[in-house]
Amino acid sequence: MPEVHLLFHQPIADHSFSADRSLLAVSRDTKVELYKRSGSGFTLQDELAGHDKTVTSVDIAPNTGKIVTCSQDRNALVWEPSPTGWKPTLVLLRINRAATHVRWSPDETKFAVGSGARVIAVCYFEGENDWWVSKHIKKPLRSTVFSLAWHPNSVLLAAGSADAHARVFSSFIKGVDQRPEPTVWGERIPFNTVCGEYINSSGGWVHSVAFSPSGNALAFAAHDSSVTVVYPSAPEQPPHAVLSVTTQMLPFVTLCWTREDQLVAAGHDCHPVVFEGSMEGWRLAYSVDDPRKSAGPGVSQESSALNMFRQMDLKGKSSVDDTNLKTIHQNSITILRPYEGGPGNVTKFSSSGVDGRIVVFTVKG
Amino acid sequence: MATINYRLIDIDALDPESAFPAELLTPPCNPIPTFEIQSLATHCRQLLQRGDQETALVAALENVPYGGDEQGKELHLGTVLEILSSIKAVEMSPLLGRLYASPSGTELLDVLTKQVYLYKGMARHNNSTSTPGVSSHATGVSSVSGAREYGVAPGKGDGGGMSVLLSWHEKVVEIAGTGAIVRVMTDRRTV
Repeated sequence: MPEVHLLFHQPIADHSFSADRSLLAVSRDTKVELYKRSGSGFTLQDELAGHDKTVTSVDIAPNTGKIVTCSQDRNALVWEPSPTGWKPTLVLLRINRAATHVRWSPDETKFAVGSGARVIAVCYFEGENDWWVSKHIKKPLRSTVFSLAWHPNSVLLAAGSADAHARVFSSFIKGVDQRPEPTVWGERIPFNTVCGEYINSSGGWVHSVAFSPSGNALAFAAHDSSVTVVYPSAPEQPPHAVLSVTTQMLPFVTLCWTREDQLVAAGHDCHPVVFEGSMEGWRLAYSVDDPRKSAGPGVSQESSALNMFRQMDLKGKSSVDDTNLKTIHQNSITILRPYEGGPGNVTKFSSSGVDGRIVVFTVKG
Repeated sequence: MATINYRLIDIDALDPESAFPAELLTPPCNPIPTFEIQSLATHCRQLLQRGDQETALVAALENVPYGGDEQGKELHLGTVLEILSSIKAVEMSPLLGRLYASPSGTELLDVLTKQVYLYKGMARHNNSTSTPGVSSHATGVSSVSGAREYGVAPGKGDGGGMSVLLSWHEKVVEIAGTGAIVRVMTDRRTV
């Protein structure tokens, strides 16, 4: 059974769990709320207030425990625990539009911030000045960057953008990164090298990008309700395969690989679906929390009995309100994240929705 | 000073770096000369005369003139509409089911709904009526009763043509889902 937590009645743009899953960071309006696991639920423990516009993304680094947040106020903040509470450090992003998405690199020395200013700010700590600084990836981005994903080697960075392209960049920063092992994406890769640029046949906004656990494949979800998986062959060569799966559903906005041959996608249809495949082809395998198989509404009525009868009286209805969706999430899902199991063997994943719910789902079989 | 509404100034127009060529967003498609579309139309018409509507429809949908000019696209639209209206209402669902099950099924139905032939066909019907506001509404209503009664031949009047398209639309969405509609709105390749 999925684990459902209704935190509040506001959209959750992004959520992140700490490595031991005891701490949950959730963006809420201009703040980030920190919840502590207590028994089967979560209790509000702390609040990170530092932004003055909507917080768009939050990420907890699994090892260092640092939290990075970014917001429509064009700033990113790195929060570190201190004896007197969480201490924010402002990051010099140098962007003139909203920041949309932020993610720590796997080695946690850098993080990348996508923005509406058609740049990705790759940020790293400069010990000399005791300050987080950024370098910009600019070309050939033509529009807002919606999502970012890191390759396991912490150098390659994928970005999905409103100009309908999914791209793979190098974010190699001298003095911070070790020279990475050659990959299918490239061998010698200075900063801002474009290692791959993909568009699907109908060319919609790319909402989400994700590297497979090995980093040798890239998946992206576009606004044409499709998921596309790219298998590159070698640097500068056309890819082995670009496999698009178009679906009957509304567009997906978030992706999460569970195994090398399986990924989960979710979005405006309010329930996750599982895709399976390999270089030979991909297909939609099954739905998690399938509304067609569910008998009643996905959630129990939140309102009291009094409220229910009042509604029936006001609206002249003889039955309980049927405006609830049959899925657990009552609105679009915003972000999926792995919850349990290591890369390549994820057994549980978490989702956050516009309905203010956090749900932990189990991947079947 | 106060007369300028600064919120309405398109600041991107003042920044040479943010020039945004539309071609970049459009997946590449090869130009298709009109005579090829013409010969496809002839081919489809022959198939129709032999009573093989399904093959004709598949042939028309597989060879979409994304790269054609306006005239060619208009010609192809005519071909597809002719095929659609020659198929009887009871045959629609099974035929669409077979199309959808074929390897490139979603693509075919997308092209059908999608873009195009249904929406473009509807747009054309709307434009050709003399009193757009009123009559488009009227055809929308008449289609409800008209849809099941006949597979209408083209040129039988706008109401009839529209009702055929609407019932096709209903059947396609039943099978290809809302995804097909989303793709119509997303796709930059026009037909």
